[in-house]
Amino acid sequence: MNKEGRGVMIQGPVQERLQISPFMAAYVIISMQIGIGVLGFQRIIAKDAGTDAWISVIGAGLTIHIIVWIMYKICETVNGDVLDANVYLFGKIIGNSINTLFIFYYTVTCAAVLGGLFEIIRTWMFQSLSSFWFAAVYLLLGIYIVYGGFRTVAGISFFGLVIPFYLLFSFGFALQYGDFTNLLPLFDHSFIQLVKSGYHMSLSYLGYGILLFFYPFIKKPEQSKKFVHIGLLATTFIYAALAVITFAYFPLGLLEKSIWATLEMWKIVRLPILERFEYLGIANWALILLPNIALSLWVASRVTKRIFHISQKKSVIFIALACLIIVVLISTRERLNVLFDYTALVGFALAYVYTPLLYFSLLIKKKVKAK
Amino acid sequence: MANLFKSIKHIINKKNIPTNQKDHQSSLVKREYSKDQTEDWEKELTKSKDYQKSYYFNQKSGKKFTLTYFSTLVEEKVMDNNAVPPLLEGEFYTIADVKKLLPIADVELSNSSNDIPEMLMKGFVMLTLEGEKEFAFISSPKQVVRSVSAPEIEFSVVGPKEAFVEAIDQNINMIRKRLPIKELIAEQFIVGKLSLTKVCVLYIKGITNKEIINTVKQRISDLEKDEIADSSYFTQIISDNGNSPFPQLLDTERPDRVTSSLAEGKVIILVDGSPHALIGPTSLTEFFNSFEDYFLNWILATFIRLIRLFSVIFSIMVTPLYVAVVTYHYQMIPKDLLITLVTSRRVVPFPPILEVLFLEVTIELLREAGARLPTKVGQTIGIVGGIVLGTASVEAGLTSNVLLILIALAALASFTTPVYQMSNTIRILRFPFLIMAEIWGLVGITIAFCFLLTHLLRLTSLGFPFMEPVFPLRVKDFKDALFRLPFKSQAKRPQFLRTKDSTRFSKEKANKKKDIDE
Repeated sequence: MNKEGRGVMIQGPVQERLQISPFMAAYVIISMQIGIGVLGFQRIIAKDAGTDAWISVIGAGLTIHIIVWIMYKICETVNGDVLDANVYLFGKIIGNSINTLFIFYYTVTCAAVLGGLFEIIRTWMFQSLSSFWFAAVYLLLGIYIVYGGFRTVAGISFFGLVIPFYLLFSFGFALQYGDFTNLLPLFDHSFIQLVKSGYHMSLSYLGYGILLFFYPFIKKPEQSKKFVHIGLLATTFIYAALAVITFAYFPLGLLEKSIWATLEMWKIVRLPILERFEYLGIANWALILLPNIALSLWVASRVTKRIFHISQKKSVIFIALACLIIVVLISTRERLNVLFDYTALVGFALAYVYTPLLYFSLLIKKKVKAK
Repeated sequence: MANLFKSIKHIINKKNIPTNQKDHQSSLVKREYSKDQTEDWEKELTKSKDYQKSYYFNQKSGKKFTLTYFSTLVEEKVMDNNAVPPLLEGEFYTIADVKKLLPIADVELSNSSNDIPEMLMKGFVMLTLEGEKEFAFISSPKQVVRSVSAPEIEFSVVGPKEAFVEAIDQNINMIRKRLPIKELIAEQFIVGKLSLTKVCVLYIKGITNKEIINTVKQRISDLEKDEIADSSYFTQIISDNGNSPFPQLLDTERPDRVTSSLAEGKVIILVDGSPHALIGPTSLTEFFNSFEDYFLNWILATFIRLIRLFSVIFSIMVTPLYVAVVTYHYQMIPKDLLITLVTSRRVVPFPPILEVLFLEVTIELLREAGARLPTKVGQTIGIVGGIVLGTASVEAGLTSNVLLILIALAALASFTTPVYQMSNTIRILRFPFLIMAEIWGLVGITIAFCFLLTHLLRLTSLGFPFMEPVFPLRVKDFKDALFRLPFKSQAKRPQFLRTKDSTRFSKEKANKKKDIDE
């Protein structure tokens, strides 16, 4: 694939000074994958597969590699992003109609992430936190990042992973009190149960679909593949390790009642100058979730720009306003859960149904055209 | 002979020359030289006290000639000793003869009257000869230069003890002495309608990236300002984001630092009248490097750099954390420590934020008062403020002594930043953090931090990312950023500068390893 001719269909190629280095692509993808899910995925996956769920965590993690491989193929075929692919396949009108759906999907994702963060902070730290003001300030931050261009967004993704990295060590405290016999007996669950658990896990993994949108911003996409796959493995490893530690730490009966298992594990951390470690963790989560917000805003505003030819500076403000309205409306835990379930479902469908279908259609269309 | 010159000068002085209005429009060609004629430019100049015009006769040829100059801009000793005697005693008939006659190298001939005021302002002496259209400019500028002294802002215990002065020629001299190569280019620009400030852009040809040089040159020639007082004007005007509290060009008073930056492939901007050179492009980490780091062993230097990094974070974060924890998250403090804290805060009638703001503002007041007052008085202010005010406010029950310790430590930590401009920035950074900590506690601090991070990510210095080498991540450039690795590992120039020649010296030769007993 020639590098210069990328994204030719709707607009010119991305300038080199705006692009990110290949290995930074991995950070963008991991930062989008790690979100609210990390704080409470253990209970959900344990519902079906019990303490064997860590197998599902690894299994679901491995399926992502196939999806990401397909995503790379799609982008390579059209020399651009998924918007190009849709327009190439379905023509301008239908293609762009499909692309419009992405705006909604990422706007709602952004709102869901923000709603989730707000919910955690309100439950654990500030009962009186105003959802409007918090979301407004946070979205303002998101707009400020998006205004800096994709490089700034990628920078936030990088720091959003590197700075809170120390939190991983805190799980060592839980490890001290863990009882690994909890995990026994191994392989006690049927394949169907594991698959069900894997399905739930795959929802926590979502976010790698962002690759379809920022592919033209990678300097040498060919080289980025290995970094992205290593990154995906790292995410899988973190989730799996966290699952194992959680299963060792919590008896299964207690885990069923722990909505935020990860946060509860932090309660055991005790340092000479610091107690209630989860406060620090939650404050850090405001940084870890920032890439999710910034990337969602960036994708939604970029798609708007590409389809409707509005400047991204304006469109990102509209999208942030839409997010703000959604966040204020979903003030209860029940509504938030509904939103979570739907965005996860759509995300799952996009990754596991839409992406392969798109790729096969592209292959067929290419062959037909060649003839 | 000097006496003779002086006496003649006194006899025929210029100011009582009647002006002839008619001649103002007369062109240069038509005009026959006469002492009764004055031109437009001269009319204005004669109002100045230091404008001198003297008339002489050449003793051999009998030719009449005049010398016009500004006495404040011309070295009169040179004139008296070297220029006037040959002009009076030597033989000359035309203006061209003057050039041969004078022992001064820089003599320019001209016949355009437009140049006259400008040349006089540069410290030239104008010589006109009776019956000649041409005139000569004799260079004899007066140099009022402060002698080179030790660096005061970037003081170092070991290493060179010279700092830049206000004269640009002297500064370039100091740099050239350290880099005696022909590749060192110093391009000059004149900036400012009124001040006509000389600005020099220095770089090493064949090392520095052309893009940087062009960016700097472009920005200097686009600059619109009538008067330039100091190089810090430049930092503000030509930097990438003028609305950022962060300086985006590094200023230094050390010629050695400038030299090493040139060798790395950076561009230097020197401004006449300013004892500070500007270095660009730069990155955030460089503002926390002192040049003394290179004079110490790399282990010590790295340790000191890490201490500085810690102290910057501490200085910004400690009081916001105090506000956040004491206001919202007192559960985070272990029981034993909580007792100490509560005891010290028991009598304080204010909420933590007011208590902190009260002390922070006091510290800012002390600093500002200390900076504005003469040195000796300033020291007294420091003692009065630091000891008396601090102790008194604790005894009066206005603040807790735990906070007093924290504030004092934070102030101390903020002084470790080696670059003055950056330490000013750090001073103000904690206030937004304090406000956010008061509103949303730890979450507020995180959000303020995210804003700061985004701002830093968006900043560029001459088009190069400011957060380098952390983002974009360039692991190789860490060798001289947060750490300072030994010189033998510094064989390559920093990657981010994209230099034409990336190798500083041969790594193989420097790293030659010997076996035991060889």
